[in-house]
Amino acid sequence: MVFSLSHLFFFGFGYLVLLFLIADMTERGYIPAKIVRHPIVYVLSIGVYASAWAIYGSVGFAYQYGYNFLTYYLGLAGAFLLAPIFLGPVLRLSQTYQLGSLADLLAYRYRSKWAGSLVTIIMLLGVMPLLALQIQAVADSVHILNQETTPATFAQVFVLFMLMFAVLFGARHFPGREKHEGLVMAIAFESLVKLILIGVIAWFSVYEVFGSFDELEDWLADRPQALDLLYTPLDHGPWRSLILAFFSAAVVMPHVYHMAFTENLNPRALITASWGVPLYLFFCALAVPLILWAALKVQAPTDPEYFTLGLAIATQSPKLAMVIFVAGISAASGIMIVTTLALASMVQNHLVLPLYQPSAKQNIYSWLLWTRRILIATILAISYLFYQALDGAHDLSELGLLAFVATLQFTPGLMGVMFWPGGNKNGFIAGLSVGFFIWLFGMLLPVLASVEALGLSIFDLGFSPTVDNWQGPAMLATLLNSIIFVVVSIFTKQSPAEKAAAATCIVDNLRRPYRWEISVRSVKEFTAQLAQPLGSSTAKREVELALQDLSMSMEETRPFSLRRLRDRVETNLSGLLGPSVAQEIIDQYLPYKTHTEQTGSEDIHFIENRLEEYRNKLTGLAGELDHLRRFHRQILHDLPMGVCSLGHDNEILGWNKSIENLTGISANEIMGSNINEIDDPWRQLIVDFVDGDTLHHQQKEIEINGISHWISLHKAAVDHEAEPGADTSTETAESDEAKSDSTVLSQSPPAIRGRLVVVIEDVTEIQLLEAKLTHSERLASIGRLAAGVAHEIGNPITGIDCLAQELRAESKDTEVSSVAEQILGQTKRVSRIVQSLMTFSRSGVHSQQEYIAVDLTACIQESIDLVLLAPNANELIFKNHCSNHLYALGDSQRLMQVFINLLTNARDASALGDTISITDSCTEQMVSIHFIDHGCGIPKNVQEEIFEPFVTTKDPGKGTGLGLALAYSIVKDHYGKISITSPLNPPVTKENKPQMSDNSSDTMGTSGNQGTKVTINLPRCYPENQGSSS
Amino acid sequence: MYNDRLVLIFIIGGFFISPVIMEWVSEGGTAWYRPYLAWISIIAIVAWITRSRDLDGF
Repeated sequence: MVFSLSHLFFFGFGYLVLLFLIADMTERGYIPAKIVRHPIVYVLSIGVYASAWAIYGSVGFAYQYGYNFLTYYLGLAGAFLLAPIFLGPVLRLSQTYQLGSLADLLAYRYRSKWAGSLVTIIMLLGVMPLLALQIQAVADSVHILNQETTPATFAQVFVLFMLMFAVLFGARHFPGREKHEGLVMAIAFESLVKLILIGVIAWFSVYEVFGSFDELEDWLADRPQALDLLYTPLDHGPWRSLILAFFSAAVVMPHVYHMAFTENLNPRALITASWGVPLYLFFCALAVPLILWAALKVQAPTDPEYFTLGLAIATQSPKLAMVIFVAGISAASGIMIVTTLALASMVQNHLVLPLYQPSAKQNIYSWLLWTRRILIATILAISYLFYQALDGAHDLSELGLLAFVATLQFTPGLMGVMFWPGGNKNGFIAGLSVGFFIWLFGMLLPVLASVEALGLSIFDLGFSPTVDNWQGPAMLATLLNSIIFVVVSIFTKQSPAEKAAAATCIVDNLRRPYRWEISVRSVKEFTAQLAQPLGSSTAKREVELALQDLSMSMEETRPFSLRRLRDRVETNLSGLLGPSVAQEIIDQYLPYKTHTEQTGSEDIHFIENRLEEYRNKLTGLAGELDHLRRFHRQILHDLPMGVCSLGHDNEILGWNKSIENLTGISANEIMGSNINEIDDPWRQLIVDFVDGDTLHHQQKEIEINGISHWISLHKAAVDHEAEPGADTSTETAESDEAKSDSTVLSQSPPAIRGRLVVVIEDVTEIQLLEAKLTHSERLASIGRLAAGVAHEIGNPITGIDCLAQELRAESKDTEVSSVAEQILGQTKRVSRIVQSLMTFSRSGVHSQQEYIAVDLTACIQESIDLVLLAPNANELIFKNHCSNHLYALGDSQRLMQVFINLLTNARDASALGDTISITDSCTEQMVSIHFIDHGCGIPKNVQEEIFEPFVTTKDPGKGTGLGLALAYSIVKDHYGKISITSPLNPPVTKENKPQMSDNSSDTMGTSGNQGTKVTINLPRCYPENQGSSS
Repeated sequence: MYNDRLVLIFIIGGFFISPVIMEWVSEGGTAWYRPYLAWISIIAIVAWITRSRDLDGF
């Protein structure tokens, strides 16, 4: 059975074209995102691990080494079964910090571009045998089926197709951090096809070759040697070492890393993969013994590693042959494409960019894209040359083992990433170099030495690594690598940056980022700084992307946010240029100010955010402690006093609810800012207080929206001992001193000042109450004084008055009589003042039980009549418009006193001929009486205190300032209210000009005719109900 | 947080019972599928353990 070359091309490349179509349809969005991101697609994409070795090599491996062949599947299955502790952390790191390859991960963790470069070189050399294996498997399968074509011819075409696919779907455009969904879907499809075809081959083996499972059982029972093939090597075979090598492949093999971590579209799919990938591999492995026994039964005419094809040839089944051929193409193409892409990315980030970076004038994205394409082509060309150099002299399993042992050398360093923060770059580089050289001289060069064309015969040690003897050099390399890594790490120091990276990577560690101060102060400065190495358009785009990721605005200036932005830009650049170059750019152009004063100043806000994220995952003591933390934080948050905590550099670390309400500044917008950035008047108040020497500031007056507020402030130094991560040994003495002597705070220079907590209290209400109380006390004193003075003055005045009357009566002299008359006039005036004082001082002592229904209209009329008795009063017009039957419960004499006072004020304020009107407006419960004059009105500033005693606007001697105060007091005693409206609206014209009131007549004199309305509201009553107060 | 107790028990348990499993597999005779039975059982256990779990950090 011989296939023509065109036939093979048709099936082989027809299948590859189908892969193109699937990838293209995905990229164009024809396949729904729900399917593309489905966990099953993720699981299938990791099936890229099952390379051509799984189709061809495994059967040969099983023939030679029995059940040891299972290690190829069980190793990776074990890694995925332990995904939560082994792969989860790597996925988290690769996604969070955009670490697209193992070299990125190790360079990031060990903070060394040398580490990245070394990993890339070793990976490049180590993986070449695996790529050569794929080309060899495909070329050999063509040769077996065609018999005529030289394998190299087909190999060239195959490699060219791989190049086309890798460029089109792995490097068509450079989105930086977007995933290649087309590639993922194509690889998942390829794995599915592989699984189905393997199933078909297994089915053929059982049902076409044996007839049924029972017949297979009978065949095995008759031929125990066939079973011994599987069991015997297991007793003394290297299965443990093999499992270790394949176990670590889950992370260290570039194609698995690329599909599992870099191209992961749905991180949660890793949970499904923890059983899905082992299940996939289970089905792949299940077919192997069935194919082997079927091939043995039909006596397949090929090498054991191509028994699968031999089975088809021996059974003369061209359909099965095509199925096997396509399965082989499918397996080989998947790994070729993905490995090449992963290697190109590593070489670009760790070999090309550290040596040469494009200038800022170039379009960096385009440059990176073309460099990657060239690297893909170069790597495929090298793999082809490697395949040609080997010239098919080695088994597929030998080539595979060479690659897996090479990548096994990354395992000690990888363990350091996840589980040992003490491991450092010196240890890693030293251990890896030793492991690599042992592999190079013990395994790779002996393999190449057999190739005469390479002229490496001096490395021919008479030893070629096979599955039987590979353990010696492989385990020696890994063991020495591990020992040297540990020993060198213990005896050499880590840099601070490496320590920070180690803390970030370590499993089960809550990172405590430092609150270092960044050198730039705004997003614009960020862009300007980055434009120097990246060019303005690239810098702008990267900053915008980072802002978008963090949901920040361009106006952001808070140090806290700028630190987050710096980290984000570094992460994004890491995805673009690799972590080494990204770190170099960021450190050079966006450096932190200094690292020397940072002890005990972790980024508390960031730690809190992290704790919030982990809230549901904290259990046991950690959960209890977190609960306690929340409780205390809530207390602080709900405290009825404003609390603001500040870092040593005045960055705001805490801002509770009360201070939010007090200042109107929300915590979200202010947290992480410098205290100098908040708005006045708070900025000035707090900054002055923080910078000042005093620990307490009582009742400081500030003006907010034109209204005075009184604020008390207190501050205290936060004990460094209590801070997380503080170096307690060096700071205890200082803290004790601070506790014992509060003046330490003021004496400390700002540079070494620790954290502060500032408590802010709004004492405005207390301040107003105090002022009111003081005022009332003053008034009461004045009242008492006035009563005493009135009493003391009253007696002599009565005497003077009597004497003056006697003098007037007895004297015939007109001049004397005139003087006596004047004395009498003055004594009357004094008596009137004294009477007012006495009345005022007695106010408020009247019994309300004596109140009866008072006819207000009649009272008002009586008051008008009394006022008209005064000189000149007749020249004014008093109009009483009040309706009849207005009654209120009260004392008619005291109410008349009020009305007379108001009418007198109106008279004094009005010009001759003016009209003074008295009107009413009533409801069922209230009577409102309005005294309206058309005088000059009362200035606004006087209105506020017009009802207070001794406040008058009249000329000295014309008023005591007690009239309205007395009226206020009487109305209040009647459960009423008195109010003033001035000026009247609309303003008064000359024609209808009226007048005004009591104490303010003088003020009105110069301010024009504005009018005044005094309104008295009293509870209404009805005569028939007079017994009950309304 | 990453200390998945069940997984740790699984590893330690696996370490102790692996010789027993290997012996059981070696004595399989015509029951060549014994390693696969052990394998599929482990997959079933892991699938059951992870049926409602959340992956830390995601």
